[in-house]
Amino acid sequence: MPAKRHAASTTATPVPVAPATLSSGPPTLKTNASAAAIAQHVWEQYLANTPQRTLLLDAFMAFLVLVGGLQFLYCVLAGNYPFNAFLSGFSAAVGQFVLTASLRMQTSDSGSGSSSKPSSKGKNARFVDEDNQEQVSGTSHERAFADYIFGSLILHFFCINFIN
Amino acid sequence: MRWCLALLLSCLLAAVNALSSSGSRLLVVLDESTEKSAYSTLWSDLEGRGYDVSFESPKSDKLSLFQHGERAYDHLLILPPKSKGLGPNLTPKSILEFLNKDGNILLALSGKASTSSAVSSLLLEIDIHLSNDRSSVVVDHFNYDTVSAAEKHDVLLLQRPGPLRPDVKAFFDGEGILALPRVAPQTLGSDSALVAPILRAPATAYAYNPKEEMPSAEDIEGTGSQLNVVSAMQARNSARFTVLGSVEALEDQWFSASVKAPGGKKTPTVNREFAKQLTAWTFKETGVLKVGKIEHHLATEGEVATEDLNPKIYRIKNETVFSIEVSEYAYDKWVPFEVPGEDELQLEFTMLSPFHRLALEPTGRTETSTVYRAQFVTPDQHGIFSFRVNYKRPFLTNIEEKHEVTVRHFAHDEYPRSWAITGGWVWIAGLWSVIAGFLAFVLVWLYSAPVADKVKKTQ
Repeated sequence: MPAKRHAASTTATPVPVAPATLSSGPPTLKTNASAAAIAQHVWEQYLANTPQRTLLLDAFMAFLVLVGGLQFLYCVLAGNYPFNAFLSGFSAAVGQFVLTASLRMQTSDSGSGSSSKPSSKGKNARFVDEDNQEQVSGTSHERAFADYIFGSLILHFFCINFIN
Repeated sequence: MRWCLALLLSCLLAAVNALSSSGSRLLVVLDESTEKSAYSTLWSDLEGRGYDVSFESPKSDKLSLFQHGERAYDHLLILPPKSKGLGPNLTPKSILEFLNKDGNILLALSGKASTSSAVSSLLLEIDIHLSNDRSSVVVDHFNYDTVSAAEKHDVLLLQRPGPLRPDVKAFFDGEGILALPRVAPQTLGSDSALVAPILRAPATAYAYNPKEEMPSAEDIEGTGSQLNVVSAMQARNSARFTVLGSVEALEDQWFSASVKAPGGKKTPTVNREFAKQLTAWTFKETGVLKVGKIEHHLATEGEVATEDLNPKIYRIKNETVFSIEVSEYAYDKWVPFEVPGEDELQLEFTMLSPFHRLALEPTGRTETSTVYRAQFVTPDQHGIFSFRVNYKRPFLTNIEEKHEVTVRHFAHDEYPRSWAITGGWVWIAGLWSVIAGFLAFVLVWLYSAPVADKVKKTQ
C-alpha cells in the first residue's frame, strides 16, 4: 500500500519533476499559465519526446480518422444506398484504426516506458522487471509489426470482397 | 377405324361450330301442339340458325332433360304452361341441375294467367322475384300501343336497351320499337352479382293485378325501372338463364305487327330482331369469350425463342411480358374480342394477394382473336406467384386464368458490381485510400526502423 501511494504521488505531479529529467524541449511552464500556453506546451513536449515511429503511427491514425469521418459524413448526407460499400469502406477505416492503435500500444510502450514502467506498475512488477528487462513489453516490435501486417491483410481481404 | 372416328369427330365439331358455341340441341317445352303454330316464325328462325328444335309437352312422360346422367339437350326454352306447374319432369331441382351442367335456359312468362308456384320458386333460387300474387301485369299510361291496347294500356312500347353500364357491351341494342304485351314483371335481388337486367320497364310503368277489382296503392310492389321486363342470370359456370316477361312478344302476330304510341306514328315492331338477339345471347351465340394462346416470357429485344417461352421460374425484378389471346363468338364465328370503352382486361400477379394489377393493352390481332399484353417488373419478393386474368362481366362468359410461376431471388453473381453504382464510389475511394495509406505507412515504418533504434538507444 505505501508503495502504491508513493507511485500515485510521483505520477500525479509529473510537471515539476519533468524539467529535471528533460534532455531537450521547450522551457518549463509557469504555475499559472493560460490554457493555450498549456496546449502549446503539451504539443511541443509531444513533438520533442515522442519517438519517430510513434509519430508516424499517430499521423497514420489521424489520416484514418479523417478518411472514416469523411465516409460517415457522406453516408449521412447522400444516403447509404450501396450499404455494403459504406460498411466496407467505413469499417476498413475503423478496423485499420484499431489495428494501428494496438500496434502503437505494443511498440510505443517500451520506447518511452523505461523510465515510467517501474513506477506505473506495482511492487511485484518491479521484481519481474529486474529479472528480465528484455520481456517487459511481452512481444518484440518485429513480432508486433508482423501481427499488424497479418491482421491488416485479413481486414483488407474481407473489405475488398464485401464491397464486391 | 381411327380415321373413321376422326372424320366423325370433325363432322360433329363442324356441326357445333356452325351455330351456337355450345351445341345445337334445343328443347322447347310447349303446352299444346296447337300453340306451336302461333310461334312458327320463331321456330323457323331458330332452325335457320342451325338448331335442332324438338318439342315436348310438360306433361309428356318422355320429357327428360337428362339421359344416362348427361344433358339430353343443350338449350331449353320453356313457354308458360296453361296448367299449374311444369309437371313432374321439370321440377325446379332438375332445371337447376340442367343449369349446373352448362345448359342454357330461356324461360318465358305471361301476364295473361298467373305464374305457377314451381316457376316462382325456381326463380327465387336465382334471386329473381315475381310479384306476390304472381299474376301482375305491367301497365304504362304513356308508352302503350294505341292500336291494340287503347283501353287497358298493357302493351308496352319500348326502345331496345342500350348498354347496361358504360363499361358493359350492348348485345340487345338497335333501332326500332319493341311491343311487349302483358308483361309479368320481375324484380332482381340486390345481393347477387350474377343477375342483370336486360330490359327495364320505363319510369312511368307500374305493376298491378288485373283480377283485383280495386287496385290499391299499397299493393304496388315496384314501379318504374325497378320492374324488369327481361332479366338474365349468368351462373358461375357461364350457363345462362333468361326470363322474358312477355311470351306473346315472340308470337308471329307481334313479329309483324304495326304499333302506334300515343302521339306517335305507326311503326312496325322489331320484335323479331330482338327475339333473335335474346335467343342468340341465351343460347351462347353472342357474348361468349374464349382464351387462346397465353404466353409469358422475359422482355427481350426481337423474337423470343420457343424454349424461353412460358418459363417455370423468374427472378425478382425481372422485366416480364405477359400476353393473352381473347376471342369472342359472334353468331357463327370467332372474332377478335374488343374490351368495351370504359372497361379494361386486367392481369394480376399474385401471391396470396395481388402484387400487381395491370391493364392488359391490345397490341395486335389475329383473324379470330385480339392479343392483349402487359409488361411489368416482377416484385422484389420471391415465392410462388401466379399470373391471373379474372374477367367477369355481365353478359360475357367468365374468363378465369391462373398460371403459376416461381420467382427466385438474386443469385450471388447477379448483383451489380460495386463500381457500377456511382453512389458507392466515395466508399470505394475510402477503402482504397485506407489500403494505400497502409502500404505507405508500412514502407515508411520499415524505412524509419534504424532511426527508431537510435532513439531507443539514446534514451
